[in-house]
Amino acid sequence: MKPAPFTYHRPASLAEALTLLLRHGPAAKPLAGGQSLGPMLNMRLARPAHLVDLNDLIELDSLRVTEDTLEVGALTRHHRLANAPEVQRSLPLLGAAAASIGHYTIRQRGTIGGSLAHADPAAQLPLIAVTLGATLVISGPDGSREIAAADFLQSIMTVDLRDGELITAVRFPLPVGDLWAYEAFSRRHGDFALVSVALSFSRDAEGKIVALRLGLGGVDTVPLRLPEIEARGQGRLADENTIRDLAIATATAIAPEDSEQVPAVYRRELAETLVVRAFKAAVNREEGA
Amino acid sequence: MSAPTQDPLTLSLSVNGETHEVRVPARKLLSDVLRDDIGLTGTHVGCEHGVCGACTILIDGRPARACLTFAVQMEGHEVTTIEAVGRPDTLSALQQALHEEHGLQCGFCTPGIVVTFEHYLRENTNPTAEDVRDVLSGNLCRCTGYQNIVVAVLKAAARMRGELA
Amino acid sequence: MSDGFTEIGRALPRKEDRRLVTGRGRYLDDLASPGALHVSFVRSPHAHARILEIDSAEAAEMPGVVGVFTGRDLDHMTTRLRLAPPIEGLQPTELTTLPINKVRFHGDPVACVVATDRYLAEDAAECVTVEYEQLRAVTSIAEAFAPDAALVDDSLSSNLVSHQTLSVGDPAARRAEAHRVVEARFALHRHTHVPLETRGCLADWDDGRAHLNMHIGNQVPHPLRSQLASRLGLSESQVTVMSPDVGGAFGQKIALYREELTVAALSRHLCRPVRWREDRMENLMSAAHAREYECRTRTSVSETGRILGLELEIDEDFGGYCFYPANYMARVIALIMTGPYRIQDYAYEVRVALTNKCGAGPMRAPMAITSWVMEGTIDAIARDLELDPVEVRRVNALGPEDLPYKMPTGEILEDVTPRETLEMAVAAIDVAAFRERQTQARSEGRYLGLGLCTVIESTTYGSEFYKSAGIPGSGHESAWVRIEPSGVVNASVGLMGTGQGYESPLSQAVAEGLGVRSEDVTVHMGNTDIAPYGMGSRGGRGATAGGGTLYLCALKARERVLAIAASMLDLNDAGGLRMRAGQIERMIGDDWQKVGLALTDVARRAYLDPLVLPEGIPPGLDFSQSYDPPAMTYSNSTHACEVEVDLQTGAISIDRYLVAEDSGTILNPIVVSGQQQGAIAMGLSGALLEQVVYDSSGQNLSATLADYLVASPNELPEFEILHHHTPNRRTPAGIKGMAEGGVMGAIGVIANAVSDALAPRGVTIKRLPLTPQSIRALLREAAPSSMKRTQS
Repeated sequence: MKPAPFTYHRPASLAEALTLLLRHGPAAKPLAGGQSLGPMLNMRLARPAHLVDLNDLIELDSLRVTEDTLEVGALTRHHRLANAPEVQRSLPLLGAAAASIGHYTIRQRGTIGGSLAHADPAAQLPLIAVTLGATLVISGPDGSREIAAADFLQSIMTVDLRDGELITAVRFPLPVGDLWAYEAFSRRHGDFALVSVALSFSRDAEGKIVALRLGLGGVDTVPLRLPEIEARGQGRLADENTIRDLAIATATAIAPEDSEQVPAVYRRELAETLVVRAFKAAVNREEGA
Repeated sequence: MSAPTQDPLTLSLSVNGETHEVRVPARKLLSDVLRDDIGLTGTHVGCEHGVCGACTILIDGRPARACLTFAVQMEGHEVTTIEAVGRPDTLSALQQALHEEHGLQCGFCTPGIVVTFEHYLRENTNPTAEDVRDVLSGNLCRCTGYQNIVVAVLKAAARMRGELA
Repeated sequence: MSDGFTEIGRALPRKEDRRLVTGRGRYLDDLASPGALHVSFVRSPHAHARILEIDSAEAAEMPGVVGVFTGRDLDHMTTRLRLAPPIEGLQPTELTTLPINKVRFHGDPVACVVATDRYLAEDAAECVTVEYEQLRAVTSIAEAFAPDAALVDDSLSSNLVSHQTLSVGDPAARRAEAHRVVEARFALHRHTHVPLETRGCLADWDDGRAHLNMHIGNQVPHPLRSQLASRLGLSESQVTVMSPDVGGAFGQKIALYREELTVAALSRHLCRPVRWREDRMENLMSAAHAREYECRTRTSVSETGRILGLELEIDEDFGGYCFYPANYMARVIALIMTGPYRIQDYAYEVRVALTNKCGAGPMRAPMAITSWVMEGTIDAIARDLELDPVEVRRVNALGPEDLPYKMPTGEILEDVTPRETLEMAVAAIDVAAFRERQTQARSEGRYLGLGLCTVIESTTYGSEFYKSAGIPGSGHESAWVRIEPSGVVNASVGLMGTGQGYESPLSQAVAEGLGVRSEDVTVHMGNTDIAPYGMGSRGGRGATAGGGTLYLCALKARERVLAIAASMLDLNDAGGLRMRAGQIERMIGDDWQKVGLALTDVARRAYLDPLVLPEGIPPGLDFSQSYDPPAMTYSNSTHACEVEVDLQTGAISIDRYLVAEDSGTILNPIVVSGQQQGAIAMGLSGALLEQVVYDSSGQNLSATLADYLVASPNELPEFEILHHHTPNRRTPAGIKGMAEGGVMGAIGVIANAVSDALAPRGVTIKRLPLTPQSIRALLREAAPSSMKRTQS
């Protein structure tokens, strides 16, 4: 399990990185935290001729909160995201999801840009980005462009990133609902979830659900936001009946992959259960506070 | 599409406070360079896909998998390995606690665990058993069932806080 | 527990720890060998295929490549492995060092690339092209035994490689007269060992001396050396096996594997040191697998649940190759099945199938399924007869009055305490209080369960057992003890530790026998030129066979030391003398008093002034001893476990876990508790998470540690251990041995606990692992019947 040969590049600036990526085209692969790419290189499942190490681009390791945006630089490590006070204040759902990625050591290295570019359908940060309608800032030979996370993620490990392009930041719109939950079920602590649920909403003066956002990971080739379920929940009380109704509707709305190891029916059941638990966790957290 | 270069690179690496010059190809894993080229064999290779945690080292003071890192990436960074933590006759508080509480058996996973918690116990000086189990989940141990490791880490933390002799 | 020991039983922290916690251990890959060549194996992508052609021309020309070798090449350098022990129903098998004509599982090695560096070796291995003709793969026991099954081993007439039956008493008659006949099924899945350090070796052929130095982490250095010498056509004088620190083995490092033999042969062929470090994917796919069984029991019972007769069928999926005789594990399961219970009418049928999977071998507690089958059968009886499972255990358990007890298979149980550990565990877990909590929880829609599992663990197999089982080999062990001129003590034994922590407990056995402090004893293991020829480490024999032999050898040494001391004190004999902590003491009045003579003085006389030694005492203080333990020694324990099953997700959480154990005389309680915890953890990890998965075409789908799930600390409970240690009166110092029973108990107790939790839903666990998706599937399947139950 040793990687195939590659030429190593260590650009000192974003411009230099983009130039290298453009020059080597599909033969080049950017390397950020390396926590997903590393195993693929060692198993020779990925064998780029050129590896462009982004770790010197420390300007991309950044958090910036404005009135309507939390902007996370692409090289921001999960550990920082999980612990930064500004994230905990403005978008605790993101912090909680980041805190659940892999293990403590993995989180020291793994980056948000890497996670999005890798596009594992069960990963935490793509799910949060899709659920909250985040925008990716992508730099390339023609300057920079922005794209919704949901459009960026196309399929399993397939994203809208062209030769010579890099994710430089992820912008999460603010504010979001003050009730939130991230619920995930995996067989072993720290493993990718079989199913995960991201939930965000508020309650109006009458206690009715507003600004509902609901996303699921692990149930399709990409993380899914479920606008029809959100619409179904808007304006209803977050009581037992509503929660159950939304959970059942969610389980019906998805079409997970069926395999001998994890049958589709099981993922549906998990989705239903986790939606219920997410709502309860969100409500309990607020009421406990 | 250009072919990759196989030629070795000359790297200057700072490991445990000492500078080492090595000639290795770009693809050589940090775990292999530490072991083969620098002679620091305490960093163990257990899976080479980032799951087992046996190869955990510190990069600029923070834990990382040496098997998911290329040595070439470490120029300009400080690498710390188990060899810098303690010696057989001068164990660190954590190493001493692992010895006293029988927190190791075959010892293959142990350096990775020691290195991880040498850092973690500075970040969180008063962890709960649950905190310890959460962090320890990144280091597989096949021998102990983990219970004694958790006890040892909590004991070391208490000693480091000065609460236990 | 034998009193009066001063060194045996001390909670002495492990001697190994200081080097291991500081990264100064020396494992195989830590050994420097300048100029050593590295190998990488080309492995089959198919489960079953003919090898038509191997083209290594391109690979041979690649940078750093020294050579590419195939099965044909190796067949000239090595002899084949023929296994044909004279056991009825066991088919003889023969295999080449690397396959020549066909591959038998996904991961089978077909060629070996030798290069100056592992990276270059892997580059070249990718460029070796093998042309295959794919054959139908046999991937289950049912397929293996189907009338039109493909043959895994072309030299056999069927895939039934071993078939044995036994009937004792009259089980059929018991069935006819029984109040009820209870049937139960148990399917255990394929596991693998996952030592954190994978396999590997460094072979260094010394051409001038015509001698092979083989560095390899191995549990049985001497038997390995015999194998290696024989397969290479060398004498045992020409091979030295050296086992350094080993990062776990769990049974995976006993056999001489094909890769290791290949590396040794190539070192000799190339006259260069050659090394191999197995990578993790190779380890998971191709090292050794274990535990894949399907068992059925049919139990004839009385109204009170008393077992009148037991009939057992075991089928084992042995994989593609026999590195051990195919009946090696399954028949021991059948032999000890009745375990803690009084059963005399007993029959078994054991069938072993070859399939297109990795070959099976012993894994920590090779008889692990035994306790689940027996205790699951007890629970099935309780369910069927609507009896309290604790009562059914009591009605059948062996008590002190039954001992020694001859099991229906002829094995003798003595000095075991299954009824006592059962009562300890039942009291400690407080079954009555649990039942109240369980009822309360069920009314809240929560499903708690309690499991019990009593284990009779066969620890040490003496030569008598091997002979009666028809297995070639011996169960004895050998040791030497040498008191050096300075008075320090060196000792050695044929065992080889692979992480258990032998150095302290074995030094305690020596120290106790001799009368010195354990700190002054060093036990040397793992080098066949230093250690005496012993059978090595397997099962739970370390303490009884290894510790026992060292203890006996040390007693012999003490006798000599005291005889010399007596002469130095001008006494007629050593009758009133003893040694404690290296100081000679004499009984004066009612007290032992120091006499100002130490072992160092005796040693100096023995070595440096031998002319004044008493007549008949030779110079020096060098002793050796061998010892053959009883046919079988046993430890026993009862495990109790509380679980909660989350009906929505199928997740299982363990709320409490305890074990009451009788492991005989304990050499070192620290090490024993560590072994108990580790064994339970391995059992639970296996029952809940681990599974080697092959798809229907024989592709291995669990070749990474992200797919083959080993428990993290978050899936495992805290373990409570209760002690009820009683000595074995037939072994030195009363030692029984242990370290595997935890696996046996854990598998049985967790399955029983989950069955108990889900009883109201009509679910019984018949198949492991207990994955959440499998629990959900059982609940879905059971839903109609549980509704019927509610309606009735």
